[in-house]
Amino acid sequence: MKRRSFIKKAAAATAGAFAAPYILPSGRLFAATGQRIADHVVFCLFAGGVRNFESMHKAEGNLMPYTLNGNESVTLSGMSPLPSPSGPRLQTMGTLFKEARFSLGPTGHFSGHSTAITGKYNLADINIKQRPSTPTVFELYRKHNSPSMSALNAWWVSNALGPYPALNFSTYPGYGAEYGANYIQPASIISTAGYDVLGHPKNFSQSDIDKVKDLREFFDNNFASQYSPGDAGIVNTEQDAVQLEEFINTSFAEATGGQYNDPWGLGGGVMNNDMYNIFFAIKVLQRFKPELMVVNMQDIDVCHTNFTQYCNNIRRADYALYKLWESIQSTPGMQDNTILIVAPEHGRNLEPNTLVDQNGRYALDHTSDATSREIFTLVVGPSGKVNQNQVISSVMGESVDIVPTIANILGFHSDVPGGFFEGSHLQAAFV
Amino acid sequence: MSKSINPLFLLLFVVLAFTACKKEQIYVYDVNDVTVRQPDADKPNVKSTTEFISIAYSDLFGTQITQAKLVNLQLAYAAFGDLKLMEEMIIKNFLNESGVDIPSDAEMRNDVGTFVDDSYIKFYNRRPNEFEKWHVVSAINNDSQLTPELLWFSMMTSNEYRYY
Repeated sequence: MKRRSFIKKAAAATAGAFAAPYILPSGRLFAATGQRIADHVVFCLFAGGVRNFESMHKAEGNLMPYTLNGNESVTLSGMSPLPSPSGPRLQTMGTLFKEARFSLGPTGHFSGHSTAITGKYNLADINIKQRPSTPTVFELYRKHNSPSMSALNAWWVSNALGPYPALNFSTYPGYGAEYGANYIQPASIISTAGYDVLGHPKNFSQSDIDKVKDLREFFDNNFASQYSPGDAGIVNTEQDAVQLEEFINTSFAEATGGQYNDPWGLGGGVMNNDMYNIFFAIKVLQRFKPELMVVNMQDIDVCHTNFTQYCNNIRRADYALYKLWESIQSTPGMQDNTILIVAPEHGRNLEPNTLVDQNGRYALDHTSDATSREIFTLVVGPSGKVNQNQVISSVMGESVDIVPTIANILGFHSDVPGGFFEGSHLQAAFV
Repeated sequence: MSKSINPLFLLLFVVLAFTACKKEQIYVYDVNDVTVRQPDADKPNVKSTTEFISIAYSDLFGTQITQAKLVNLQLAYAAFGDLKLMEEMIIKNFLNESGVDIPSDAEMRNDVGTFVDDSYIKFYNRRPNEFEKWHVVSAINNDSQLTPELLWFSMMTSNEYRYY
């Protein structure tokens, strides 16, 4: 072998030896260094401020019969009719931390959401018009786990607008839109008003689309020096954008075809916004099978004015949660390969405000008293991975523990730079 | 002791004497009237949601968008994380509405250069530079299937249209 040829081959072999561990069969580059517990995580923020008295301690009976063991009756009048559970409760398929805490920062919805999604307590004044200043779990996941994978693998599905759209990525340098999650608030798009303004698009032929692409590429190249991709929100590839548009158009077709009218067969008027939000999140799961999804519910917050409806909406959220898990278990690829984490963003006050409902019950706010810091955390997943039917009644687990737990499940915990995790992996939940 | 005059000093005196008292010339400067437009290299601001939707509607229909329609579009726009995709969907829906005011293919091809100039001014608030104009004019002239609608759709969904 000639000397030059030998050197070339030796150099190539050396480079290959270094590169090989990072090029996986899936085509991913730079895989996370940790071992995964599961390939999918769904984190449900439940559901607008729930007090442990009404959830874990069943002060009004078992308002969460699909989640919690027990058949304690609910005596409040005015409850929506919901079917009774027939199968195992969610808590039997995982570990329930009955006394978790939201320890620091104001017990407000955005503060609670922001903490749960970034894994950092926010002690400064919160500007609800701004994105978080530290990376969200979506950015940590996409940057440190599988950066070559598309944004379709990370979703944030919220039931309301307000400040929530800002939680799909942060302003932290080196993270941001490039690593953020796809965001959708279904109620404002897949609606009559949304259909009116977005449901009648001009359909172009493939030839026309190609012409547009060529021209747009020319225009964009001439403006490239001034364009910042993050200015237009989350960045999807062209192919992914096509899938997303098709998904929205399909959803319009399903909605106008009647599929969104009482889709769970509960009877007229029972489906509330929380239930529809979970219903749509299920559509996203079934279509894209994301590795990481965060979905919330918020209707329980009616408790500011109506305690009875608060209890009723806990029941509805509980039923929606069951439907979410049922769908995960019937979705190929996610079945037995998904871990569901459930936690309220915060609790509610011990002392009521002055508003009284039809049952003579006083309403509750959430203003950072000790009771409003009491939450629960439920981790549900396959046996052999998640400890089954385990209840931890001592004070254990915090809101900031959820992000490092997700990082551990998806195998990128050790790849995240120091300082981003304020909490710890909820080790007690896992085998 | 006699004093002698330095010849250099004498020369300087003569030069100053002849140039110091020159009659002042009066120059009057004037400029031609020009229309000031934004240069392509200076668009630092992203249009707000309201601006993007309102301007896009006005550009295509020549009239103001109704408040009800604006509110519905603002909600949909805010409810989706990929703004580029949402903008494309909004424009596609505008293009499918009756009353959209786009020049015909014949009008465009009657004077392609002027059409390209007008399109740049309409959507980018500036004239195309020589290269841009040559490229787009050539694209139109070389493709009989390239319609005004496709060109406008391309411009309205381009990155520059998001800025001012």
